[in-house]
This record gives sequence, C-alpha cells and structure tokens, in this order.
Amino acid sequence: MSRAKLEQLGIELPLFPTTSVGSFPKPDFLMKARGDFAKKLISRADLERVERQATEFWIRQQEKLGVDVLVDGEMYRGDMVAYFAENLEGFEIGGLVRSYGNRYYHKPIINGEVRWKGPITVDWWKYAQSLTGKPVKGMLTGAYTVMDWSFIESYPGRRAATLALAREIRKEVEALIQAGAKIIQIDEPAVSVRPEELPVAIEAMHVTTDGLAAYFITHICYGAFEHIYPEMLKLPVDNFDLEMSNSGLDLLALFQKQPYTKDISFGVVDVHTHLVEAESLVEQRLRQALETLPKEAIWVDPDCGLKTRTVDEAIAKMQALVHVAQGLRH
Amino acid sequence: MELLLANHSSYPRIGDDPDQQLLRRTITQRDKGEKDDADVHAAEDRLTEQALAEQSAARLDVVTDGLVRWYDPISHLAGQLAGVRINGLLRFFDTNTYFRQPIVQARPQRTTPLLVDELKFAQARSSQPVKMVLTGPYTLARHSMEASDGAGGFTEVLEAYTEALAEEVGALAAAGAGWIQVDEPSLLKQPGDISLVERSLHALAARKGSAQLALSVYFGDPAPIYDRLQALPVDLLVLDFTYSPHLVETVATRGAGKTLGLGLIDGRNTRLEDPARVVRQLEKIAMGTKSGRAWLTPSCGLEYLPRDRARKKLHHLAAIKKTFLGSAA
Repeated sequence: MSRAKLEQLGIELPLFPTTSVGSFPKPDFLMKARGDFAKKLISRADLERVERQATEFWIRQQEKLGVDVLVDGEMYRGDMVAYFAENLEGFEIGGLVRSYGNRYYHKPIINGEVRWKGPITVDWWKYAQSLTGKPVKGMLTGAYTVMDWSFIESYPGRRAATLALAREIRKEVEALIQAGAKIIQIDEPAVSVRPEELPVAIEAMHVTTDGLAAYFITHICYGAFEHIYPEMLKLPVDNFDLEMSNSGLDLLALFQKQPYTKDISFGVVDVHTHLVEAESLVEQRLRQALETLPKEAIWVDPDCGLKTRTVDEAIAKMQALVHVAQGLRH
Repeated sequence: MELLLANHSSYPRIGDDPDQQLLRRTITQRDKGEKDDADVHAAEDRLTEQALAEQSAARLDVVTDGLVRWYDPISHLAGQLAGVRINGLLRFFDTNTYFRQPIVQARPQRTTPLLVDELKFAQARSSQPVKMVLTGPYTLARHSMEASDGAGGFTEVLEAYTEALAEEVGALAAAGAGWIQVDEPSLLKQPGDISLVERSLHALAARKGSAQLALSVYFGDPAPIYDRLQALPVDLLVLDFTYSPHLVETVATRGAGKTLGLGLIDGRNTRLEDPARVVRQLEKIAMGTKSGRAWLTPSCGLEYLPRDRARKKLHHLAAIKKTFLGSAA
C-alpha cells in the first residue's frame, strides 16, 4: 500500500529499506565549535559553517555504509523541541528544569500566538539533499510533542495549543514539499505518555498532513504502547518508526493480537547501550519481525536517534543493520 | 475557613543565577574528580538553605526541604534499602523527567535512617514547621522491578517497602517531625488498588507517634475514589485538582471530614492562576469542609518548573489567600 505511494512519488526503494531515526552524534570538531560559540569566541556564521561540515560528514558516512534513506543528522539542533520553539513565534525559552539526575534543559513557554515565520529546516534539508542522490528525509517534531514538552500560558488548554501548533507546522511541511522533500518524518515521542490524549495527537496529525503529497513517517518511543495500540494506527501516516529492541520486541505480541496495518521502521539496535550488536542478533530480531509482519512493510533502523552514542558506535550500529538488511534481501 | 499555605514537596535545585547553579556545577566537578562527595553535600546544604529561605519569604506556614538531595522520587528512598539495586532510567508518569528503576533482588530492608538527617538539617534552619515527604510504599513498589530471584511477587515487595517506610515514619516522628507526607501518585493510575494503599497506610499510621500523617495523590483524577480517600487513616488529604474538571464540585457536594490540602495551583505549568477563579473554588470547597481549615498548596512538587516561576507560584499562594480572606470579610 505505502510502497505504491512511494512509487507514485517517484521513489524506488529495495526490500528492507535502511534508514536512521534522525540524529547522529556531533563530531568533536562541532562540539568544540558549539563550545566556542557559547563562549562568544566565534560567530553564528562560523558555527553554521562547521554545522554544514558535520552534516556533510554524516551524509558521506551514510552513503559509504549503503543506507537507503538518509537524514541530515540534526547537526544544527540542540533539542528537538527547543529548536522549533526558537524558530516559531509565540515562544519564550524558559529557565532550566531538570530532566534527570544532574541533567537540565531549557523548557519552552508558549506565551503568545504560535506563528510560523518562515522555513525552519528547509535550507538544511536542501543542503543535505544536494550532497546525495539518495532520498533525504525531512525531519520535524510533531505538534503534540512540542505542546507536551512546553509550558502553556497563552492557550486555554492542551488541545487548543496542539492544534495551533499543528496548523503552523503544516506550513513547514508544505515548504519542505515545495523544496522537493518526498519523505517527511514527524516525530511524536510524547504521544504514548497520556493515552487519553491520543485523539488530540491524531487530530493534530490530520491538520499537519492531510492532502499533502509526501510519504509520512512518525517516530514514537519509550512509552506505554499497550495503552495506545491499535488506536495509534489512526495517526494519518504511512510508516511508524518504533523502538523495538530496547523493549525486547514486545510490541510484536501486540501486533499478533491486533494486526499492524502500516509500514514500520523497525528498531533493530538499541541506542542506549555502548555495546554494538552482533549482526547475528540484528538478523535474529529481523527474522522475528518477519514472523508477524509482511516483508514489504519493513524498513530497518535503530530504536531512536543515535546522538547519545559516540561517532564510532553510531557508525558501527548502522553498519550492522545495513549488512543484515542487505543480506536478507537475497 | 482558615487557610494555611504550604509547599507540596520538591523545589527546583537550579536557577539562572550562577549561585543557583552551584549544585550542578559541583556534581559535574565531582564526576571529573575535581571535587569530592563532601563538596556535593555542602552544595546540597546550600541549595536546601536557599529553598527554605525562598519558602519563608513567600510566607508559607509549612515548608519542605525542597527534596534537593533526591536524585528522583523513587531511587532516593528505594536505593537506600538493602536488597535493592538501582538500574536504568524510565519516564516518571507523564512528566518529561526520568527516575532510576529499583531492581528488587531480595526483600527490601531498612538498615539505616533514610531522611532523619535531612529533617534535622532543615529543622535547624527553618522557623516554620518542616513537612517531610516520603514516596509511598505502593508507588515505590509499582515503580520497581523484581529480579527473577527477588523477593516474591508485587504484594511481598509492597509489604517490605511498607515495613521499611513504617520504621522511617517512626524515626522521623521520634526526631520531632510534625508533618509527614506520603506521596502515592500511582494510586490514581490504579484506583482499584486502594485497599492495598489503605493497609499500607495503617502500618505507617501506627508508627507516627505525635506526628501528623498526610497522604498526597497527584498526576490523575481523584474524584472517582474521593469517598474512599476520605476514609483512609491519615490526618490530611492532599489532592491534585489540575487533572479533574469535577473535583471542586465533588468536594463541595460530598464534603470533607478530613482536613484537605488543596492542590489548586498547578505545579506543572508556569501560568499563574486567576486569583478570582481560585477564590471561587475555595469558597465552594469551604461550604463542605467540616474541619474549618484547609491547606492551599501546589498540585505537586515544584521541580517541574524553572526556579523563577516556582518562586512566583509560592508568592501567588499568599496573594490568593489575601484575596480569599478579603472576600470572606
């Protein structure tokens, strides 16, 4: 079903297309530049030059590995919500709040009318796509997650804020499509956290994507899937990019009870361990997937963004999954 | 109705001023080997003093130590018990914060006081009564995983946590704690388990001595079990009003035999509540309150807010009380 949509969009992919969730680790040269920028030792233009260099590094790495659908690696982002909050009107970047232990982040505050000022990710997508003949995914954070990971002051409630964000994020989707993006991933890691609000996330995704000509993927991870499945299949996307390995593939049991009806980007390597999985383990996970899911529906990728791993670990994990996917094609 | 102002539990351990970042900085330096545990404890002391001072400046009647020393609401207590190992990160309810999961390898046992030193430190530095906070046995058990060769099933783990925390309640009471609050947010996720929580609270109440025992439930709607909550063996019932559109009506209609802690101030969002609206809610609730007294409090710990916004929420409590008293005069 979705493969036909890809063909209509002019994209031909092999069996078990390989991709990654979005983020890659920032190379040391970029980390140094970010530190220098924070200390005001270099300009914004200097930093951006290094971010482009790092983006090219990851595009070349993915090509070398033989990945089928590429990402820009998010070298220009710190945080998946704050980045969009900084680039939309209606937000203030709030003070620090704790994530866990000694880790803190600046949580955005929605304190005005949310408004899209102009393209946010489009130049980065264009740059990444200019470096390769393979398709590069457009990468956005979904309205529900931006809402859930922000404080809300200027809207009467969570649904109103989510729908306002959805309308504005749609403009970024349209801009990506206009620039030539055909595969667009809209990450919604927060949707599994409040199952009772899944209808709001579904409504918002309709607002963001309905009637637009692209193959849509959404990434969801680390939540209580048992409370949102199979209802989550109502999210109007073609492909769910799901963390599978960290939870011991337990979602497959849910899929056996209630058939899974979309394409899936099946996480075959855990991003929270330094250990690089043996190819035999990756293959075993994929073969387990094939017991429940049709082979035409399966894409192969890591559980989540690889930004918390080292560059070497990220490359090794990608290499393992690409080798296995390529081997299974035959 | 007499209105007391109280902090709920936690308070931000960081702010935008360099002095407010002392603890983060010191932990980072400790992890690099540049400082040691004694330096971290000194930074925790300093941050606790700041939290107490900010609550005092907001004219609260009852304060907490801000739970500044807690890594998270689960592992800070469970991790001090024998038989428990602390494992990886999991999301804490629907917050975007994470806790480390306890793995129960053998029956959890209290071999050392858990919070007594924290109580003594705060008491010595506060002119207001200090309320001590314990994550309750049921919530600890729900957030723990049993090792395959662990301490039996869920019920056995709950019993062991109950026994350990009952000992701690006794120790806190003996050390002069006036108020001990037991947090059981997990109850609102599985309200059918209220009998288990009731049994566990009886064990804690038996050890409370002259201390007053509070139960706090949050991150969910307590309205469906409101009558059962009223029957629990506690002196104060602290409720989160932010998840329930009907709770004010429920309390006004059903009344309250117990003193209530009214979590009408959202501890999860920066927006300041409309004082007139909160006063209307208080007036409704007052009609059904038999004790003639209630506590006004944030709906949950304030560590989910930036420091400056948390401070504003505390000052907002006093502003609302003033409006309430003015309207009642």
